[in-house]
Amino acid sequence: MITVENLTKSYGGFTAVDDVSFTAEAGRVTGFLGPNGAGKTTTMRVMTGLTPPTRGSVTIGGHLYRDLPNPGRHVGVLLDASAQHAGRTGREVLTLGARTMGLPASRVDEMLALVSLDERESKRRIKNYSLGMRQRLGIAHALLGDPSVLILDEPANGLDPAGIRWMRGLLKSYADRGGAVLLSSHLLHEVEQIADEMILIGRGRIVARGTKAELLAVQGDGSTLVQAVDNDLLAKALVAAGHEVTAAGAGLSVSTQPAVVGQVALEAQVALVDLRATEGRGLEDLFLELTADTQREAPAGAPSAQPATPAHAAPQGGPR
Amino acid sequence: MSTTAPTPRASVPRTLDVSGTPKVPFTRTVSVELRKMLDTRAGFWLLAVSGLLLVVVAGIVMAVVLANDIGITANGWVQVMTVPLSLLLPIFAITSVTAEWSQRTGLVSFTLEPHRLKIIGAKLVAVVILVVATMALAVALGAVANLLYGAFSGNDVVWNVDGSAFFWTVVNQLLYFLMAFGLAMLILSTPASIAVYYVVSLLLPFMVYSAVYVLVSWGPDVLPWVDLGYAMAPLVGGGPTGPGGPGLEVTGTTYAQVAVATLIWVVLPMVLGGRRVMRTEIK
Ligand SMILES: Nc1ncnc2c1ncn2[C@@H]1O[C@H](COP(=O)(O)OP(=O)(O)OP(=O)(O)O)[C@@H](O)[C@H]1O
Ligand SMILES: [Mg+2]
Repeated sequence: MITVENLTKSYGGFTAVDDVSFTAEAGRVTGFLGPNGAGKTTTMRVMTGLTPPTRGSVTIGGHLYRDLPNPGRHVGVLLDASAQHAGRTGREVLTLGARTMGLPASRVDEMLALVSLDERESKRRIKNYSLGMRQRLGIAHALLGDPSVLILDEPANGLDPAGIRWMRGLLKSYADRGGAVLLSSHLLHEVEQIADEMILIGRGRIVARGTKAELLAVQGDGSTLVQAVDNDLLAKALVAAGHEVTAAGAGLSVSTQPAVVGQVALEAQVALVDLRATEGRGLEDLFLELTADTQREAPAGAPSAQPATPAHAAPQGGPR
Repeated sequence: MSTTAPTPRASVPRTLDVSGTPKVPFTRTVSVELRKMLDTRAGFWLLAVSGLLLVVVAGIVMAVVLANDIGITANGWVQVMTVPLSLLLPIFAITSVTAEWSQRTGLVSFTLEPHRLKIIGAKLVAVVILVVATMALAVALGAVANLLYGAFSGNDVVWNVDGSAFFWTVVNQLLYFLMAFGLAMLILSTPASIAVYYVVSLLLPFMVYSAVYVLVSWGPDVLPWVDLGYAMAPLVGGGPTGPGGPGLEVTGTTYAQVAVATLIWVVLPMVLGGRRVMRTEIK
């Protein structure tokens, strides 16, 4: 639905977005992830025609954004919930949107109810809104025209845990009904639960993409953690079978699959206490690692000397 | 939640069918822009204070005129009533543009309507509507004041509104609002635009030009070319120091001067500002 092709945006000599291409498809939630200053917001501003691209293009359902008639009816946009006139009430903001789009006034009440802003809150001025209330209003505004495409920049920003869970459900059901949802975040756990696909961006370049499973698969190293009643006996059997064994905590770390280790243990007649695959580095670690050379702070445990996966070995355009 | 659910997942669309969606009509954009001018607390107070000024000025002039037994006519009242309208209301023309940047509402406005010229055009129409509506109000209040003056003073009520002078008064008012609008587009910041506007439209004419006009030999020759107020003074029926001063004669040069001053303060800011609005990034 959203197609970004070879998008580049430079400011003077600085390239904020560097040859970025991806798609966000209908019926899916696409997560757009990257550290501060990676170029997420810039990409989204180009999508919505607020910033002219230096090179490349973005189309939404085959159209340039500026060619969409009454775009609010097709694309719901939330770029910055704080970008509202401080002296207007929340209800007035939605009313202006509804009028522009040619929607009945009842739509405003529907949206206020949807994002749980009550009557009194809706009549307060935005100056007096809390961060989360502004965010809710911004989400209500994006959904006002019942669009089939949603572009949301850090929509969970400032929401309380219940609000975040509510929003996840909302976006998921939106995608399930055929909508295309693109949402950005720098918090991985916020996105990994709902995103069908993730685009990881660092310093303006895409460093990895794919589903959660795909992203983790490349990273798994296939080793096993095992603990037996008699660790020494098991270690001997494993070494005899030709595997590398090192002590790890109360157990052993073995350079092979859990099934193989189980078989060896069975043959050596050693009872096992614990047997599991070495936990692949979590998505969080992967994220930190992939964007390591683009981070402001070198993340602990991700030595930036070896930038793990070179950008192109990452599951770029991997199987869907 | 929604009335028209997006198409079901089975057929994943790659294109968006927009054939059934009409464009937002210009009149709707104008009505929204007009509403945006008035729906903030600042807008409300600006209107309220302007209304108050109108009444206060009318009251003061009435008192002065009656106490000193000066005659005043309908024409005089229209001139008087225009002044309070030209004091604060141009701020509407300025903030209508600059709020999109200063308050960052442009992020929403320009995504709902990506054709920026359409929004600028709608704002311009909204400003013109504001000028016309407030001028009509001033005329109505002026008529009431004129009747009251007749009742209080016992003099004959004179309805001598000069069509040409009135026309140019409205044009004058309009040009100042358009100048405010153009400067706002050029500067795109509320406080800076307001400051520049008042320096150019009020401070310089009253503090500097008025002195230059009488003290410096080339003053009367140059000022009407570079200041809208001086250029239009003969047409609106006022003197070089505003209404009440000695009347000036309207010649062919007067129209040339109005044209040049308009070019400098209205056309140029509009064109340059318009280009800036078209090109700038909305953040
Ligand atoms: N007008 C501009 N001039 C110069 N640099 C700019 C301009 N606009 C954006 N940038 C730079 O482009 C880079 C990308 O910014 P962007 O806002 O897209 O980051 P982001 O991924 O949204 O970050 P965050 O997660 O912090 O919101 C930043 O380094 C920013 O400073
Ligand atoms: Mg951002």
